[in-house]
Amino acid sequence: MGKVIWVEVLSRHRDVVARHRCVGPEIRIGRGYGNDVVIDDAHVAPSHLRIFRDDEGALIAEDCGSLNGSYVDRDKRRSQRIALDGERLIRIGHTFLRIRGAAHVVAAESALQSQSPGWPRLLGLAVALLGLEGGLLWLGNTQEPKVLYYLGALLSLSVMVLGWTTGWAILSRLFTGQMRFERNLLIALLGLLGYSLYDEVSTLGAFAWSLYPLHSYEYVGMWLIIGALVSFHLREVAPARFRFKGAVVSVFAVIAIGMQTLAKSEGGARIDEPTYVPYLKPPALRLVAPHSEAHFFAEVDTLKPKLDKARAEEPDTGGGLLDSDADD
Amino acid sequence: MLMLAQDRFLSRLRGVVALLACVNAMAAQSPPPSPATSSVADSVYDAARPRLLQIRTLVDAADRQSTIGSGFMVGADGLAMTNYHVVSQYALEPKTYRLEFRAPDGSRGSLKLLAIDVINDLAVVQLDKRDQPYFEFGARALQGTLPRGERLYAMGNPLDLGFTIVDGTYNGLVERSYNERIHFSGAINPGMSGGPAVTADSRLVGINVAKRLDGELVSFLVPARFAAALIDKVRHGGVLPIKDVRAEIRRQVFAWQDGLYAGVQKQGFRVATFGAYRAPESAAPWFNCWARTNADQIPKPRASANSTNCNTDTRLFLADDWGTGTISFSHTYAKSIDLNAFQFAAFMSQQYRPATRGGYSRKRYTRQRCHDDFVAGDEAAGRPAIRAIWCARAYRDLEGLYDVGMVAVTQDRSDEALLSKLSMQGVSYENAMALTKSFIGALQWAK
Repeated sequence: MGKVIWVEVLSRHRDVVARHRCVGPEIRIGRGYGNDVVIDDAHVAPSHLRIFRDDEGALIAEDCGSLNGSYVDRDKRRSQRIALDGERLIRIGHTFLRIRGAAHVVAAESALQSQSPGWPRLLGLAVALLGLEGGLLWLGNTQEPKVLYYLGALLSLSVMVLGWTTGWAILSRLFTGQMRFERNLLIALLGLLGYSLYDEVSTLGAFAWSLYPLHSYEYVGMWLIIGALVSFHLREVAPARFRFKGAVVSVFAVIAIGMQTLAKSEGGARIDEPTYVPYLKPPALRLVAPHSEAHFFAEVDTLKPKLDKARAEEPDTGGGLLDSDADD
Repeated sequence: MLMLAQDRFLSRLRGVVALLACVNAMAAQSPPPSPATSSVADSVYDAARPRLLQIRTLVDAADRQSTIGSGFMVGADGLAMTNYHVVSQYALEPKTYRLEFRAPDGSRGSLKLLAIDVINDLAVVQLDKRDQPYFEFGARALQGTLPRGERLYAMGNPLDLGFTIVDGTYNGLVERSYNERIHFSGAINPGMSGGPAVTADSRLVGINVAKRLDGELVSFLVPARFAAALIDKVRHGGVLPIKDVRAEIRRQVFAWQDGLYAGVQKQGFRVATFGAYRAPESAAPWFNCWARTNADQIPKPRASANSTNCNTDTRLFLADDWGTGTISFSHTYAKSIDLNAFQFAAFMSQQYRPATRGGYSRKRYTRQRCHDDFVAGDEAAGRPAIRAIWCARAYRDLEGLYDVGMVAVTQDRSDEALLSKLSMQGVSYENAMALTKSFIGALQWAK
């Protein structure tokens, strides 16, 4: 059996930052230069840990009586003696170690596959996004059809997307050592395309079905899309604990939605904010049967008691309601 | 003080600001107003002087004036007449303000508010002095037999510069006005509000109330018969307790709008043609209508839009920040020149909102509530389907009165449309619904 033992020093993110090839029945680890592996960590004893094989040949780590002790991974209990299986981490001071024998079995080779979504695909998406935005601008433009109008808007959109992507790429570089620019760009493009489509569908839907809530609560979908976008970017930045990050982002999205809903209901928003679908679309897009005039006025009539209730309920602001005003 | 604005009335606050600015500027630059030259004016003024009053509204806590206006004695029992808008601050907020008079002889004293008529902008106040000389009502004025061109003398204290007499001519009642007003061609200025306008024999014809800012010497008087009626009411026990002012305003406005809307319905609608559509226009004479087109716009518009806009001249002053009583409607016919269906819809969207007047004030109104929907047309009756919005808000202090804005857009074609708006201020819900029904019912295809 090989006497070779590998000592790997890991970062807090579980990336290997140093790997030492040691030979011998026993390996000493510590801050002192008499050790086989020298650790630069003030919280590590000069002679901290000893690695050896027991009678069965299994690797064992033993604390050499350090002040701060040795631990298994994030375990809070000190361990005097740790049986090593090649996966379990040892923590001494702020340093994580992983010990593997030469016989440690590694995973099978994974097929060569680019992480990048490929530029043709990205280009296709970008063209689709710009085409969609340009088309929507065109459909909404009632002014002179000037090229500059479209170019300006699309250019600023492009700059925005690139800026956003670059920001996330830099974060990825910081945490994983890779920019992953193309993956981040893919996420940004998909997110924006998704939002544009969602926005347009809800805008058209609010008119087509004469459904005001679809217009007024559009922001709910917007925040959810932003949440998903950020979650996927975060996964690129550091793949670990995707669920936890997703949950944190969800909480923020829910808070944002809640704040906006509160602002709406408490009138923090503009007071004369229209409470109807405030735009028109081509009449052919209507998807509901029009109501009768009688139905319209019946609905209008139901507003009266609501207004009278609001009149009675909302706080008096100094003007003074009629004293004799007993509500019937 | 006097109400001055494009639409005849100006909030008192703005009036005060203008007034103060004027006083300072005039003190520095202008000579004092030239005295009346005719000997008739001389004698009229001499007779009137002891009967005139300046009426001040003071902020009780600061003991300073916040508004000034004029008034005059109408009886030996200490009754005096002025405008409602001169005393409206006190009437609505009696705990914050108080009223005071100043006579030309320098005497002063407190005033009691006895009655108001918000429709005709009148108020009756009482002095604690008795047996003052007072103005008599002119029989010819009460009967309306005064000849056009008769010389009248308006008096008051303009801009707090001192009591002044102004001569001008009687020009009959303002034509096409729902509320009766005398057209007086003379220079009435802020501060003269509530002052008397009399004939050469010192008989009361009207009460100074407003002027047009966009004209010269176009001023208005409230006919004396409304003042006579209000005083009559007071003398027959109709004294208004100050705590009931809001209820009284509500009662007056409610009754008044019932009459106005009944009148509008009675006068009916005539049909105007707008491109492919026909739309109703009120046949009532109280609407001022103006037309507008975008045909001469540069750059050339991509859809033509022609509109008419009609307003009544019926604004009622309730407080500085609070007017009511108008009705307005508009029709805009638009046809695409080179816009596609989506672009044309975007073009129409720019005007697709109810016309609201009077701004939002949490103190005065509830938040608005709206209903919008597609409303079916009637092929047989020649009526296109429409998309309509109805928005309404309630008056906090005036139970049963609302502001309503309505928009309707035809939905039968993708390259042309008629967009009609109707907006009503200070109206009962029933009247608003009834007028809207008549209005929507008359939106039709041109034959």
